[in-house]
Amino acid sequence: MIDFAIYLVTVAAIWSVLAISLNLQFGMTGLVNFGQILPFGIGAYAAGIGASLGYPWWVGAIAAIVFAPLCSLAVVFPTRRLSQDYWALITLAAAEIFRLTMLNTPSVAGGADGVMVPRFGSSTTALVVSLALLAVSFLVAERISRSPFGRMLRVLREDEVLASTLGRNPMRYQASVSMVAWIMGAAAGIAYGHFSGYVAPTSFTVTETFIIWTAVILGGPGRNIGVICGAIIIQVLGVSSRFVAQWVDLPSDLVANLRLALFGLLLVVMFIYRPQGLVPERREVRNAARD
Amino acid sequence: MLRATDISLSFGGLKALSKVSVEAAPGAVTGLIGPNGSGKSTLLNVIAGVYVPDEGTVTLNGEPLPLGRPERVAQRGVGRTFQVPKLAHRLTVFQNMLAGEKDHCGETLAGIFLRPGKVARQEREAAERADSILRRLGMAHKANDLAGSLSGGQQKLLTMGMLLMADPAVLLLDEPAAGVNPVLIEQQVEFLKTLRDEGRIVILIEHNMDMIANVCDRVFVLDAGSLIAAGTPADIRADETVIRSYLGQPAVPREQP
Repeated sequence: MIDFAIYLVTVAAIWSVLAISLNLQFGMTGLVNFGQILPFGIGAYAAGIGASLGYPWWVGAIAAIVFAPLCSLAVVFPTRRLSQDYWALITLAAAEIFRLTMLNTPSVAGGADGVMVPRFGSSTTALVVSLALLAVSFLVAERISRSPFGRMLRVLREDEVLASTLGRNPMRYQASVSMVAWIMGAAAGIAYGHFSGYVAPTSFTVTETFIIWTAVILGGPGRNIGVICGAIIIQVLGVSSRFVAQWVDLPSDLVANLRLALFGLLLVVMFIYRPQGLVPERREVRNAARD
Repeated sequence: MLRATDISLSFGGLKALSKVSVEAAPGAVTGLIGPNGSGKSTLLNVIAGVYVPDEGTVTLNGEPLPLGRPERVAQRGVGRTFQVPKLAHRLTVFQNMLAGEKDHCGETLAGIFLRPGKVARQEREAAERADSILRRLGMAHKANDLAGSLSGGQQKLLTMGMLLMADPAVLLLDEPAAGVNPVLIEQQVEFLKTLRDEGRIVILIEHNMDMIANVCDRVFVLDAGSLIAAGTPADIRADETVIRSYLGQPAVPREQP
């Protein structure tokens, strides 16, 4: 039982980091990133490839932390003159290109078979590392959220033209926040690689991005503590549906699909009845003006 | 002095502006009037760096302004408002005001993580300035309301307030009085006069001829993309071409009192 609790908390912590990273881009800045699984994949694969080449763990980790933000720039800059809608398409495509490349180049990372990654020494280590990563990500995201930088990100979300009228270059803000978000995504991927001990293309499908989105929409776009709640709820639902499968004796693939249908239903219900999420964005209130 | 010289701009086959030249002096309010579709907002967009003209130049105090780079034009001290006010609707009035702060060191990642003290200091100064501008606009009691919840007239005042945070040398105002109640219009007129007295360059697009006559020192009249008249409000009201194309004549002659 305690092992299971440790497993659940670890998974929830890793996915909370991903939810925070998407929240920085979508919730605060309005960047519709349909490929946030890409930096996660970069992190996990860097851990796996580094280990398969015989390097110590930190080599893969550093490679991922350097490579992921560079990739974010490669995705941001071509969209410079395009509207936000294209962000969705380009990020979606980038994530799929990465997954398909990994799937079809067995010489790099085992193709469909994936690669082995050395596991954390114990499940407690995995737990501590994941929680530490979540704590750091949360503090960074909160600092951004409450700062003038975060305020301008929200102005960008509401109206890009307004931001440029105020003398701001939207691209600079979008690039900065994307780099931070992709570093978080990569860090979560590194932790996930060492936690699961195995990295394969099936872990980085569009469905996974969709699950991160569900967590953000459910929890409250723009609110870091909210998206953590969202991620926890989604992971608890996901894990518990496996027990349900055992009790009701349904085939496990059917239950897996029903689980996705449930997430989809959650999204629809949230959009209709509570678009601000379970924990809505905080309104920064100024104390009564002194006269 | 702000000068737009020989500005021409076509959208496909539509000639939006042809060889239009206007100038606006500091310490004066310059009006820009004309029928709908005459190119007033387009001209404002060229000056503000939103559109790149096919030909022509824009200079501020003799220095050319970058064309097609709105954020650079804004950094040079040119602020503009829009006919439909642009605001961050889901932020409070006060947050919107603070977003107008220029060169905020708290808007870089290095600033917020490495120099939190400096950021807090600038934020305090900006907050004090925002307070005083809001008071000047008569909107201090609205500081914590969401910008999206304000009335149209208040939203227009707020966009002016945001511009003033950056202390701009030039203000380009696109129909600040449209859809605004008479009391707020009077308030705006007073406000424009103080801006003028502070020595700023103010360009005003407006259909409200009383407001134009009341605050403008010089008026340019556009029709179908061309400049058809320029002069004082009194000159313009008497100008035959302007009356024909824009102001019109009373259908029934007014009774003399």
